[in-house]
Amino acid sequence: MINEKKSLGLFSLVSLKFFTVFPEYFISISLIYVLTVVFLITYSVYSLILQKAVSETMVFILIMACYLMVNDDLLALNFLSFNNSIVNDYFAFFTKFVICATASVYFLFIADSLKYQRLTSFEYLLVLLFAVLGLMLLCSSNDLLTAYLAIELSSLAFYILAAFKKTSNYSAEGGIKYFVTGAISSAFFLFGSSFIYGISGTINFTDLGDLFSLAFNKSAVYNSSFDYSFIELGLSLILFSLFIKLALAPFHLWSLDVYEGSPSSSTFFFAVVTKLSIFVLLVRLCYLSFFNLHNCWQFYSLWVGIFSIFVGSFGGLKQRKLKTILAYSSTSHMGYALIAFSTSTFEGVQMLLFYLVIYMISGLCVWSILSFLRLKQTNTEQKYNKELGDLALLKNSNAALVFCLSLAMFSIAGIPPMIGFLAKMGIFLSVVGVSFYFVALISVLFSVVSTFYYIRVIKVLYFENLLVGRLYHPINTKKPAVLSFLIFLLFFLFLYPTTLYLNNYKTILSLL
Amino acid sequence: MFYIFSIALVICALMVVVSQHPVFSLLFLVASFLSASVLLFLLECEFLALLFIVIYVGAIAVLFLFAIMMLESKLSNLSRNMMKYVPVGFLFGFFLLIPLLSQIWSQYDQNVYSDSFYFNNYQNWYDLIDSTSDIEVYGQVLYSYFVLQFLVAGLILLLVLIGVVHLTNNFNSPQKTEQSIFKQISRDSTFFFKQ
Repeated sequence: MINEKKSLGLFSLVSLKFFTVFPEYFISISLIYVLTVVFLITYSVYSLILQKAVSETMVFILIMACYLMVNDDLLALNFLSFNNSIVNDYFAFFTKFVICATASVYFLFIADSLKYQRLTSFEYLLVLLFAVLGLMLLCSSNDLLTAYLAIELSSLAFYILAAFKKTSNYSAEGGIKYFVTGAISSAFFLFGSSFIYGISGTINFTDLGDLFSLAFNKSAVYNSSFDYSFIELGLSLILFSLFIKLALAPFHLWSLDVYEGSPSSSTFFFAVVTKLSIFVLLVRLCYLSFFNLHNCWQFYSLWVGIFSIFVGSFGGLKQRKLKTILAYSSTSHMGYALIAFSTSTFEGVQMLLFYLVIYMISGLCVWSILSFLRLKQTNTEQKYNKELGDLALLKNSNAALVFCLSLAMFSIAGIPPMIGFLAKMGIFLSVVGVSFYFVALISVLFSVVSTFYYIRVIKVLYFENLLVGRLYHPINTKKPAVLSFLIFLLFFLFLYPTTLYLNNYKTILSLL
Repeated sequence: MFYIFSIALVICALMVVVSQHPVFSLLFLVASFLSASVLLFLLECEFLALLFIVIYVGAIAVLFLFAIMMLESKLSNLSRNMMKYVPVGFLFGFFLLIPLLSQIWSQYDQNVYSDSFYFNNYQNWYDLIDSTSDIEVYGQVLYSYFVLQFLVAGLILLLVLIGVVHLTNNFNSPQKTEQSIFKQISRDSTFFFKQ
């Protein structure tokens, strides 16, 4: 089969180059199709609630995209297309697959909870699919302009998702805050890329890599004559804008309000799905283009990483709101990922990828349980955000769910029989491997501190001496099957981590 | 010419932030767009300059003007907040500006021919016979090299359209908002002429 296709020669290659973004094409065309069809259906009857059907359509679309990627025979691997602005290597392939799979599970989980959150218009799911499209495009972008457009596509969708609930003032506030910080970060991104374009005359990652790897040979001609400080300024501006997007510590203040204010299903998306592709862009930018400027970006990412671990560990201690606790937890997790990123070794990047995949799986578990739980309440008091105290005595009404939640919390905290332990240990090992002993020591200590609030959730779940607790609506059986599969993954990957581990290793080797 | 308009651009951009009244800052915004488009004219990008005037001045600034007229402004509140944030803003601004300016001065030399730039402008006679205008060049580049980016920009516009339609529409309330002409005309006009 493959040989047959290869023998078609140059003509097939020319037409093949448009298939490097085939999953993106598929998603965007199906998105426009769904928009048209649903619009025609709801044209006469607007109040028709199509929520469940549309979200299952989204699951179907994303599973089909996964299927397309798995059955891709990788003929156009390591192939630059669209005027070198799209790269199609194994790294992009793997991360796109992970994003698609996570997003399809996400759509499956939120299908019911949307109705109870009063988010009944079909645009919500369409905007979510736009965001997934932007994230996938970001994974395979190979120049700064395409990356900027992909970031804009996804983050404009995020602003709309945060502000989607028109009746809630908190949601509007969260949307405005997200919009302002996102606009500032985009401005910094463009500012930094204009510096890089001004000094080097190109915005293509591979061209930049070729240009600046000349100086890596330590030949006297290139080293003495060229001053890197201007490029470093542009690079650090871009890094800061991406750090704002990732909600890392000095730039994390928007994330608390946005996570708390926006509807729960949007927060689920922001916390779980969005982080991976920005790290892909960071790896491409720093490891492929500007690797010999590693003094610059290593410094910034190391300190920002340590500071965000610090803030994430100590900030969550006093919180009683569940979403804010998880926002702090996400900040500290991004800090761990960033110190793995800052090691400037390929083991570090491998650990980064491993950690992010594990982060997405355990995040899916925790957030899906939070979206399943639906308080029984009267019509007079409407409460959507859960506090820690609401979870007390849940063990009497739904013991299995409590067990799942506590297992997921153990995994996030990094307690040994779960996969979170291996992910964290891999990061510390990679940091020790480049002999940043002090960084490893400090982050281990902060990790112990942050264990406190994860364990406190479990304490509230199991060991609370209360007689009166909240009641919850029962849960249907379909989605806990997927959830229990994810919980099973948390165990299984601890016993057999080599499958994911070797896959990540292969992915990283494709960067070389 | 270039220096005059770039200084005018900087002053106008400063006045947008500094001026207390939103209408004045909007007018300064229009002025800054105009001077930026003049800069583009001087760089011989006529199409981009006209695009600047048409889109920014013609559409966006007028839209802002409508938004300001619709909204009740809270001027006193604004000025009080501003005095609180100005020192911090200047601090961060200086910390950003100092390395930027030092880098620019160390990296870019003064072009010794810049005074005679317009005198040395030679006329390529072939251009007069067989020339492609700005718009043709933009179209050719956009549809050939940047076709994917063009499509993504289209998708961004579609997304924004969907989002804005959802966020501004109000399907639940049955009564339609009617334009009460009397109320509009008899509105207090001191807003525009307040000292």
